[in-house]
Amino acid sequence: MVEALAVASGKGGVGKTTSTLALGMALADEYDVTVVDADTGLANLCFHTGLAAADTTLQDLLLEDSDVAVDDAVYERFGLSLVPCGTSLDAFREADPTRLREVVATLADGTDVLLLDSPAAIGSQSAVLPLVLADRTVVVLQPTVPSLSDGLKVQEYARSYGTETAGVLFNRVRDDEAVDRVAEQAERYFGGPTLAKIPESDAARAARRAGKPLLAHAPDSPAATAYRRAAERLELQEGDSGQVADRFRSAVIPESP
Amino acid sequence: MSGFDAADAALHVPQGTLVRSRVVDDVADPLDRALDQKLTGYAVLEPGSSLLLGDEAAGLLTFEDGIPVVAYCETTDEGGVDALAALAAPGPCSVDLYELSAEALDPVHQSPSFQVPPDAPARELAADPTLAERTRERAPEERQAEESASAVEAFLEDEERIAEIQEEARTEAKSRAAEWGLDDQLEVQ
Repeated sequence: MVEALAVASGKGGVGKTTSTLALGMALADEYDVTVVDADTGLANLCFHTGLAAADTTLQDLLLEDSDVAVDDAVYERFGLSLVPCGTSLDAFREADPTRLREVVATLADGTDVLLLDSPAAIGSQSAVLPLVLADRTVVVLQPTVPSLSDGLKVQEYARSYGTETAGVLFNRVRDDEAVDRVAEQAERYFGGPTLAKIPESDAARAARRAGKPLLAHAPDSPAATAYRRAAERLELQEGDSGQVADRFRSAVIPESP
Repeated sequence: MSGFDAADAALHVPQGTLVRSRVVDDVADPLDRALDQKLTGYAVLEPGSSLLLGDEAAGLLTFEDGIPVVAYCETTDEGGVDALAALAAPGPCSVDLYELSAEALDPVHQSPSFQVPPDAPARELAADPTLAERTRERAPEERQAEESASAVEAFLEDEERIAEIQEEARTEAKSRAAEWGLDDQLEVQ
């Protein structure tokens, strides 16, 4: 195990799932990467990866008295191990979010890099758990005031749990020159470097429609190239697999009320 | 008309006719409505759960044929993109839309320091790039090239405001942690 990273944004619509999968595929050239859709309330990794009809998902693993093996919810696609989350509202209501800790611990044992696609809004225990469990966060931003404001907020939430920022991704960028100035200013407030500025891209929308990650659908697009650069700049911190798994298991998370 | 007395503000806008009054979760909705209905008039914005502006915060955004023209924040007494930065706040926002003739708005629309790029409100207040693009496309040709990044730069230059957002988030994270039974996990007690 190298590191568990929560990919967070604080605001929806910034391309968090696209970014998580793109970073994952770029890192998969060097590492064994597992991507978990930890956005259990608004799961959409399945739609980005052609797994909308997956039989077993994270939702099954989070059900109380679940006897489903973690491996049954892991799908090997696009060079990644993917753990999609189902979209059933009933299953979401019945899920015990604290079981995520055990699932993450099990997955951490068998992979190098664990990416947790985290909920945008931090309004519940289940939404904040990925930030609690991860070693560090990657914050996905758009160069707008609401996105930066929410990104600062999510960074402070993560830091409260000892989870520092590994880097910042500016996504859906339209004006290169302006974003350079914005990124330079933003570095004063965010931990970690600006990993990349990803240009707004029709390719990302087309990839989503095709049910494929961007790097599989349009590997030569400028956005895909920018994500590869982001992965190169991300300095992963080596961790001991057993220790990481133990840490997740020992995280004192109470039962849901 | 509550919270914003245009007559006392630095930007003098005559009273218009109220056509819609709503508390919205997303400012994109009234901006979209103004664009689609080609509203000439103005919106009075009051961010409800603003982190920083308090209960009396209010701002004004004018439109000509649905396209935003000038913005003013009463609380900070700022105009233009600085006003948008001051008004951009998470949470619900009260938005009243008024109709007013182009002639009545004309003196206001001649104030360069209050002008905003056509797409800036959708981008800065609503973080809606699609609406921003649509607004820019429908704007008169001479206004389509105006820059909009300066609101973000103005926001990031305001160290005091950023520090307040961070402090607010830390306090909120701590109280929520207690609520969710996660306070044992906090590293910053």
